[in-house]
Amino acid sequence: MQSDTARYVLSRLVTTILIIVGAMLLLFTLSTIVPGDPAVTLLGPQATPEYAKKFIEDMGLNEPVPIRLVKFFGAVLRGDLGIDVVSGRSVASMVGAAIPYTFILIFSAIGLAVLLGVPLGVFAATHRGSALDHALAFMSVSFIAVPSFVIAIFLLLIFSIWLDWLPVLGAGNENDLFDQFKRLILPTLSISAGWIGFIARLVRTSMLETLGENFIRTSRAYGLSERLVTYKYALKNACIPTIAILGMGIGRLMTGAVFVEIVFARPGLGRLIYGAVSSRNYPVVQGSVLVVVAIFVVVNLIVDLSYSAIDPRIRRGAQGAAK
Amino acid sequence: MTSQFDRRQMLAGAAAAGLAGALESQSTAQAQTKSNIAVRIDRDLDAIDPAYRTGPWDGNVARTVFQRLVKQKPNSAELENDAAAEITQTSPTMIDFRLKPGQMFTDGYGEMTAEDVKFSFERIGLAPEPGRQAGPYKGDWVYLDRVETTGQYAGRIVLSKPRANLFNIAIGDVSGCIVSKKATMERGIGHNTKPVGSGPYQLVSMEKQKGGVLKRNAAFTGAKPFFDEIAVRFISDPKTTELALRSGELDFAVLPPSVAEPLRGVSGLSITEQPSIAYLWIGMNMEKAPLTDLRVRQAIRLGLDVDQMLLAAYNGKAPRLNTLLPPQILGHWKNAPVYKRNVAEAKKLLQEAGQTNLKLKLLILNQPVYQNMALVARALLQEIGVTLEVDAQEGGTYWSAGKGDTGKNLDLFLLRFNGKHDPNFIMQWFVPTQIGDWNWQRWSSPEFEKLFNDAAAELDQAKRVQEVVEAQKLMDKTSAFVWLTNEVNFLAHRSWLKPSAVPGWIDWQYDSFGAATS
Repeated sequence: MQSDTARYVLSRLVTTILIIVGAMLLLFTLSTIVPGDPAVTLLGPQATPEYAKKFIEDMGLNEPVPIRLVKFFGAVLRGDLGIDVVSGRSVASMVGAAIPYTFILIFSAIGLAVLLGVPLGVFAATHRGSALDHALAFMSVSFIAVPSFVIAIFLLLIFSIWLDWLPVLGAGNENDLFDQFKRLILPTLSISAGWIGFIARLVRTSMLETLGENFIRTSRAYGLSERLVTYKYALKNACIPTIAILGMGIGRLMTGAVFVEIVFARPGLGRLIYGAVSSRNYPVVQGSVLVVVAIFVVVNLIVDLSYSAIDPRIRRGAQGAAK
Repeated sequence: MTSQFDRRQMLAGAAAAGLAGALESQSTAQAQTKSNIAVRIDRDLDAIDPAYRTGPWDGNVARTVFQRLVKQKPNSAELENDAAAEITQTSPTMIDFRLKPGQMFTDGYGEMTAEDVKFSFERIGLAPEPGRQAGPYKGDWVYLDRVETTGQYAGRIVLSKPRANLFNIAIGDVSGCIVSKKATMERGIGHNTKPVGSGPYQLVSMEKQKGGVLKRNAAFTGAKPFFDEIAVRFISDPKTTELALRSGELDFAVLPPSVAEPLRGVSGLSITEQPSIAYLWIGMNMEKAPLTDLRVRQAIRLGLDVDQMLLAAYNGKAPRLNTLLPPQILGHWKNAPVYKRNVAEAKKLLQEAGQTNLKLKLLILNQPVYQNMALVARALLQEIGVTLEVDAQEGGTYWSAGKGDTGKNLDLFLLRFNGKHDPNFIMQWFVPTQIGDWNWQRWSSPEFEKLFNDAAAELDQAKRVQEVVEAQKLMDKTSAFVWLTNEVNFLAHRSWLKPSAVPGWIDWQYDSFGAATS
C-alpha cells in the first residue's frame, strides 16, 4: 500500500517537472515569435545603437533559443533567476518581493470564497426550491458573469469614493498591519466575488447529488442526526470536486489578480509580469513566469494528493488505469 | 552666473512668465501647508542613475536627487546656477566652471569636486575605454572632447566642435547631473536604485511596482524645497489615478483629457491645461509604393481634416500643429501652411497618380486618443477613395514596427515623440542616418541633414532660427508629414498645490512644487 502511494507521488512529481520544462520551452519559443524589440521598448529613442546592442546581449537575446533555454535552466538549478538588466536587480529578489502580495491576495480570496461559498451552497441544497435558494442562484450567476476588474471599479466607487471607508491605492505601509488589512479588503472582494458564487453553485449541486446516495439513506436509517448526516458525511463527499476546482482555480485567480493589482496599483506577481511583458523585459518575464508555473503545478500536485487522500478510489483508479 | 547665451534669455522671455502666471491664477485662494505629497508616475521607476535612466519618469526623480552645474528656474526654461558658482563660455568650444564649495553628497560620500563633474560628463559622453560600451545617452554629450580639472572646484569643458544646445540638452538637463565618482564606482549597477546625489531630495526608497520616496536632503545648500517628503507613486491605470485623486490619496497627476474632464468641479481639485512639447503626426513611408508618389502623399494630406481629428481625440482642447516645432520652441515656423481639407483636389491628385481604390494601413498605438483619431482619419480618407485599415498595436510591437527592414513594410503611422526645449533635439529623428531607427518616413534628405548640422553648431541665434525654419520647409515639401498637435497636458492637482515644470510639461521640477497662493 505504502509503495503504491510512493509510486503515485513519484509519478505526479515527474509530471510536475515535465510540465514546468514544457511551459518554459513554450515561453522561450513564444518570446522569439512575439514582435517587439526590447531595446527599443525599454530604452526609447535616445539610446545609442551600441548600447542597444549591448542591452540585447546582456539579456542573452542574441543567442539561439535552445542555448538560452539550457543556460536559463542551468542558472535556475543554481538558484539564479537572472538579472533585470535595466535596474540591475536580481529577478529572484523582484519576484520574491512581489510574491507575498499576490499570495496574500489569492489565498485571502480563496479563503473568503470557501468561507462564504460552502455554507451558502449547503444552505441552498438543504433549502432547495426556497426563495432564498432562487435568490442565491441569481446572485451567484451574476457575480460569476462579471469580470473581477469591473467589480473592482464598482467597489472603489462605493467604498472609497462615496462612503470613504477604504483606501484606493497600494498594499499599505509595511509597518502597519491594519493599514495593509484595509487595503486588502477591496482587492480580495473583487477577486472572490465570482468564486463565492461559483463555489456555492458547485457545492449545492454536489450536495444534492450526495444527499440522494444510498449511504446517506443508510445513515439516516441508522438514526444519525440530520446535522451529522449533512455536515459530516454528505459535505465531506460533496467537497471533493470543490477541492479539485480550487486547485485549477489558482491559475484563474492569478489571471484575476493581474487586473486587480493594476486597478488597485497593488504590487504583485501579476502586475510584475504584465509590466515586464509590455516592456519586453525578458529576464523578468522568464523568471516570474517560471515561478508562477511552479506555483500552479505544485498547488495542483498538492490538490491531487489531498484529493486521493480524501477519496482512495481515485488513487486506485489511476493505478488501475496505468496497469 | 556669467553667460553670453542670448538663447537662454530668449527662452526665458518666451516661455516662462506666461506659464508661471497661468498656474498662479488658477490656484485657489485657500493656501494650505502640508509636509508630504504624493505624485503619480505612469511608468515604473527603473534607473535613477542619470547615465542609465529609462525615460522622463526616472529623469524627473534624478533632477531632484542630483545637482547640475546649471538648472532651469521654476516653471521656466531659463537657466540659473545650481552647483556652479560661475560658468562662462570662454570660446565656442570651451566652457569654464567653478563649483560652490561645501556641496556634500549624501551617505557620507564627501564634498563635490571638479573631479566628480569630469567623471559625470565623460562617463556619458566620451568614447568608452576598450572593452566597455557606450552609454545610452552618449548623444546628449556629442562633441565633448574632454573635461579638464583646473582646481579642486574648477574645471573646463572642452568640445571638439561648437554646439548650440549644449546647455539645454547636456549641461542643464539630466545628462548634466553630477554624480559622486566614489559612490558610482562603489555601488556599480546598484547606483541605479540607490543613487548618491547632493540635490534637494534624497531617494530613501525605491521599490519595483511601488515607485519611490523622496525625502528632503538636509545637507542641500540651495533653496529649501517646500515639501519634506514626496511619494512618487507608480499607477499605470488612469481610472485608478482618477479615483485616488478623488479619495485624497494622490495630490498630483497628469491625465488624459477623458479622465481629467470629469474631475472638474471636484471640491479641492484643480485641473490645469498646459500646452505640451510632445508632437504627434501621421507619417508616410516614402519608400513604399504608392506612397513613393508625391501626388499620393499630397492627396492624403488634403484628404485629412486635422481639426476634426483633434476634436474627436481631445474634445478640441489640443492645439493644432502645422509644422514640426511647436510655438514654444526656438525656430518655430510661424507662417507654416495650414492645410484645409479639399476632397476634390485630393481625388484629382489620386486620379493623376493612377490610384483608384487605394488600400493602406495606418499603424497606431492602442490607446483611446489615437484610436479616435484613426477612426476619423479612416472615415475622411474613405471619401477620397482610400480604404484605411487601422492597425492598433500594443507598445512593444508598435515601437518596433519602424525599425530595420521591418519599417519598409509600413504605410501610414501615427507617431508621438516627446520633445525638449531645443530644435535640434526635436529634428534629430528625421536625418537620413535615422532611417531604420526613428525616421519611419524613411525620408533621405542630405539638404535637411546639412541644415540640421549647421543649426547644431550655430551660436548665432538668428542664423540658427533661419536654418531650422528652412529645414521645416523641406519637411513640408515632402507631404509625408501630417502634423496633428503638440498636445495639451491636463494637470490634476490639489487646489493648494502649485506644480512646477519646465515649459512643455514633461520635465517636472518636483523640488519646486509648492503651495498655491491666492
